[in-house]
Amino acid sequence: MSEPLGLAPAVLGLLLGATVVTALMAGAPRLRRFAHLPLVLACAASAGLAIWIVIQLSAGTPAYRSVPVTWFAAGNFAASAAITIDPLAAVMLATVTFVATWIAVFSAGYMRDEHGVPERGYARYFAVMGLFVFSMCGLVLADNFFLLVAFWEGVGVCSYLLVGYYYAKPSAAAAARKAFLVTRLGDTGFLLGIFLLWKLGGYHTDLTVLFEHIRTHPPDTGSLTTACLLIFCGAVGKSAQFPLYVWLPDAMEGPTPVSALIHAATMVTAGVYLVARCAPVFALVPDAQAVVAWAGGITALLAAVIALTQTDLKRVLAYSTVSQLGYMFLALGAMGAVSPVFAVTAAIFHLFTHAFFKALLFLGAGSVMHAMGGVIDTRRFGGLRRIMPVTHLTFLCGAAALAALPPTSGFWSKDLILEALRDGAETTHPYAGGLQALLLIGLVTAGLTAFYTFRAYFLTFWGQTRVPEEAGHHAHESPPVMTVPLLVLAVGALAAGAVAGPLTHSFDHFLERTPSLQQAATAVPGAKAPAHAFDWGLAGLSTLLAAGGVGLAAVLYAKGRPEKVPPGLEPVVALSRNKLYVDEVYEAALVKPLTGAAVAAGMFDRFLDSFGRLLASAPRLLGHLARPVQNGLVQFYALGMAAGVVVLLSFVAFRIAR
Amino acid sequence: MIPTFRILVLLLVAVPLLSAAVVPLFGRAARRAALVLALLQAGLTAAVVLVALPVLNQRGESMMPDTPGRARPIQRFVPEFVPGDPGYRGNPDSSTHRTGWTLLSFGDGPADRPGPRVQFYVGVDGLNVWLVALCSLMMLAAILVSWEAVADRPGPFYGWLFVLQAGAVGAFLSFDLILFYAFFELTLIPSFFLIGRWGNGPGRRDAARKFFLYTLGGSLLTLVGLVGVVLTNPLPDGRVTFALPDLMAAVQQRTGGPGSAGLQAGLFACLVAGFLVKVPVWPLHTWMPAAYREAPIGVTILLSALLAKLGTFGLLRIVLPLMADAAVEYGLYGRAVIGVLAGVGIVYGALCAYAQRDIKMMVAYGSLSHLGFLVLGLLAFNTEGVGGAALHMVNHGVSTGALFALLAFLLDRYRTTDMRAFGGLMGRFPRFAVLAFVVCLASIGLPGLNNFVSEMLMMAGLFDPRAGGGRVPGFAVVAAAGIFLSAWYVLTMLRRVFFGPPAEPPAVAGGPVPDIDGREGVALGGLAAVCLLLGLFPQVVLDPMEADVAVVAAIGDAARDRVEGPAPKGYVPPAPRRFRAPDPPPAGGGGGLPPPPFPEPAD
Repeated sequence: MSEPLGLAPAVLGLLLGATVVTALMAGAPRLRRFAHLPLVLACAASAGLAIWIVIQLSAGTPAYRSVPVTWFAAGNFAASAAITIDPLAAVMLATVTFVATWIAVFSAGYMRDEHGVPERGYARYFAVMGLFVFSMCGLVLADNFFLLVAFWEGVGVCSYLLVGYYYAKPSAAAAARKAFLVTRLGDTGFLLGIFLLWKLGGYHTDLTVLFEHIRTHPPDTGSLTTACLLIFCGAVGKSAQFPLYVWLPDAMEGPTPVSALIHAATMVTAGVYLVARCAPVFALVPDAQAVVAWAGGITALLAAVIALTQTDLKRVLAYSTVSQLGYMFLALGAMGAVSPVFAVTAAIFHLFTHAFFKALLFLGAGSVMHAMGGVIDTRRFGGLRRIMPVTHLTFLCGAAALAALPPTSGFWSKDLILEALRDGAETTHPYAGGLQALLLIGLVTAGLTAFYTFRAYFLTFWGQTRVPEEAGHHAHESPPVMTVPLLVLAVGALAAGAVAGPLTHSFDHFLERTPSLQQAATAVPGAKAPAHAFDWGLAGLSTLLAAGGVGLAAVLYAKGRPEKVPPGLEPVVALSRNKLYVDEVYEAALVKPLTGAAVAAGMFDRFLDSFGRLLASAPRLLGHLARPVQNGLVQFYALGMAAGVVVLLSFVAFRIAR
Repeated sequence: MIPTFRILVLLLVAVPLLSAAVVPLFGRAARRAALVLALLQAGLTAAVVLVALPVLNQRGESMMPDTPGRARPIQRFVPEFVPGDPGYRGNPDSSTHRTGWTLLSFGDGPADRPGPRVQFYVGVDGLNVWLVALCSLMMLAAILVSWEAVADRPGPFYGWLFVLQAGAVGAFLSFDLILFYAFFELTLIPSFFLIGRWGNGPGRRDAARKFFLYTLGGSLLTLVGLVGVVLTNPLPDGRVTFALPDLMAAVQQRTGGPGSAGLQAGLFACLVAGFLVKVPVWPLHTWMPAAYREAPIGVTILLSALLAKLGTFGLLRIVLPLMADAAVEYGLYGRAVIGVLAGVGIVYGALCAYAQRDIKMMVAYGSLSHLGFLVLGLLAFNTEGVGGAALHMVNHGVSTGALFALLAFLLDRYRTTDMRAFGGLMGRFPRFAVLAFVVCLASIGLPGLNNFVSEMLMMAGLFDPRAGGGRVPGFAVVAAAGIFLSAWYVLTMLRRVFFGPPAEPPAVAGGPVPDIDGREGVALGGLAAVCLLLGLFPQVVLDPMEADVAVVAAIGDAARDRVEGPAPKGYVPPAPRRFRAPDPPPAGGGGGLPPPPFPEPAD
């Protein structure tokens, strides 16, 4: 079967098979050393298949849909297992599997100690990672909301297990629980939104059918907006947007390749994909669009501000992911003002390039961490460019792409997003003014991004060579199993954007054939179509800002001197360093009250129980009251009998007399 | 063949009762004998399920003949394989879906006007077949986890367990109201002794007494309600009947007739009281924490997996079909008294669960929360909600039972389930940890595992397809909050017990504490596998119950027409169930016309 419809299940089957085989290997101590093999092979094979699917789709029919198989159904409700392959899904599939392959290869080196002996949970790690990639691939292929939710939650559970991989570490345990619960909070809204959409959309749950039904029978805008906003809750949780982004920075408690996986390929992109997939309904509701755009804009700026002062290398990268995801939602939020095809292309293109450079940066950080004996605080090492030349150069490529310096991948994709915002702001769309403001936010964030990225880069690799004592005498470059993935991803970070974007335009030409995007485009006929002409003015401005950020970072940090806070800025810096106190706000506003309510409920339950006991003691009390009557004196009983007879007789007498 | 299958159904009730009588004779070897007998019952159940499935699946499309002159066909349950079925026109291979076995007969009049009769009327249909299977499964689990824990007088212990099982199976299978009630009450006696004599703590006698009095008080009210319903709904010819299908027909034919709203409300309140206590629904749950805490773990499994289901099953089997109008009025759609109580219970139970330090208590309160959701699903009174709730009874039984069964692992080794005493068990017992994670994730509704399916169906029911409009119903929000809160307390427990630095209380036995052994592996692994299978292939369970769920949903739809007025335009009511012509009788049999369902019995 070389049809795309046959290949997609093969991708899922390979990954699931690898998971099962790896899980079985966990039980056999001799095989445990080779536990990485099934996953690496399965990922590589599925990446090959995914690229083959892309080639086939770009040549032939743009979309395939499998025959739905009922999963469960009752009455008007039916959840089916249906998958669809269209350019949107294919791009995601190829990105996920390709990046995951190299992360798996890297992990095979990373998850061992300095003597090359695998860690205790080696097989567990690769089994869960296999399930993780499997779930993500299922998510992008699903054509049914409930199948999508199933894989969506599967992704959540795998991230829970991987973030909590070092289970004995309390901070890892807390981070794992936080990641799962915060995303689950978003999912609660997501579920309600799906059901509302189910009801509005003629009781369909298959995405294609549902969107078609909504197109032909448009429900009232208010309800549809509610449904879209509820669905967006799920995306906010999963893609770590304001206000539910707090789990992502903590999630770096897991092994570093897991962070690379979560940040680049398999988890946080799910929310972006969801909104892109649901473009046909989101395009109909401008109010929900505005919320999406503002959530993205606020997140992009907020996270960039926090990232400015973080000293933990992975934390800087984590906040940069949050910020970059904000960019993607900014693009998606422009959907009504510009053509949905344009908006989604911009977002997914950034997702695509971001996957390369963010995976690269995290793996680079992992390489550093591996060499430094687990230390990742930039205050404790420096000048590593002499010790780790390959890591240094590849990290530089990734940093340049994140800072969107031309001509790296990040430059082209970020530019497309800014263009979408600019085009949207020039229309007569009701929220055009907002888009103007958001464009400004996007530009400011671009400058901040360049600054914090290169701050982290200079602090790590420049200045005097310093190594923490945990690293011992073996601070050295990582083995080839780890540096080769870095090199491959570095090439992607540098060139993928230019090749797929401005040089060939193959990315947008491919993506615009997606039927659901075409359908969304017909919903907003007046929207501006993508301009294929390159806008030098905007690109120049953003490049200037990025270069300014890099320059400032170079001036302040290239010497490797300890950080000095300029006078007057201390409160701002403290605010940023403490992550704007958002965690504390959550603690006070949500966690404490909920815990308090739980304790109160527990106490109330005891009260309720004693109330029940009080009722139960009523008979005994009555008995106590009546007890004096049974005093055992015959005379008293005789008196009682006499009195009773008198009462009875007088009652009868009065009745008859009347 | 059909008469043979009828004997199988009879054996389903008889085998546990016989086992209860036999097991105590074995003395110290009682646990082995109990296991063998429970396996026998499980095999029997499997046989009945395998035989019944094709029949139940086939009737999916419809069971009810059109009644001439009525807008809606009369809906009633159709039990299959009824022991004592005289057969249509004397042909034992055809069925009248009735029984000829009378237990008690009151005030027989002339021969053509027999008095009310209590009959041994049991049968299999889509609503009870899986619950009977659940009984057999959880019985096995209960015996396996009690294996080491019960050393004191094991003979009577396992004997009472079988009585408990017999009561539950009998109540699920009954189609006669009085018989149902008798089996329903039969479960009280073994529970009382099992909690009071084999309980763990000093408060066991108190807990047993509270449980007994509380549930007895509730179910006596239910008896009043049952008799009231029977007396106010005589058959068209003036007789009264305890046979549920006939009573359903009588109720539907008389609806709108005599009987004041006040009387209906009073009868409804009485009728539901016992079931709400048994479920339990907040605030009638106060017997539950003590009973679950004090009971030995094997009994806790049966209490949560089976006895709680008796309450919800009573709502489904008795209350919804017989008092549909009141169930609509006081359920979710009018003065939503019970709906509000169940909704409060969802949040309240989850909060209490979080506040617990004992894992056993956490599971108990979590069960209160889940059961609130189940009651909401039932009260939604539509195909999605009732179907989801009927499935959730099985799912909740398996997953809550499995959660308690997990605790048996800890109790056997450490005699405590206080989560403060444990830490880092993931490294200590990796195999146990895998099973514990599967079961815990199932209970918080992870897709691919069982609870997700039924929770989604009930959620669809709460969104109320009949009402139309683009509003998010409040009950659905509460239910969704319950799903989130369940993740909150379960993950907090997992973090304390399985993550973090290793910690364990002093072990009961000296030497190294082993990971799961073979016996525990079978019990816990089996339950975890059932969770997974039910999550992946739920339609196998849903298909056979479709026809029966449709009966309840059609009754609900008609009741809502009466209470709320006609449905808004564009609403498609549940598909009318039409009579499927059965296969022609075998050659040489009764011949002639195929038997209609529920033919009038031949005199």
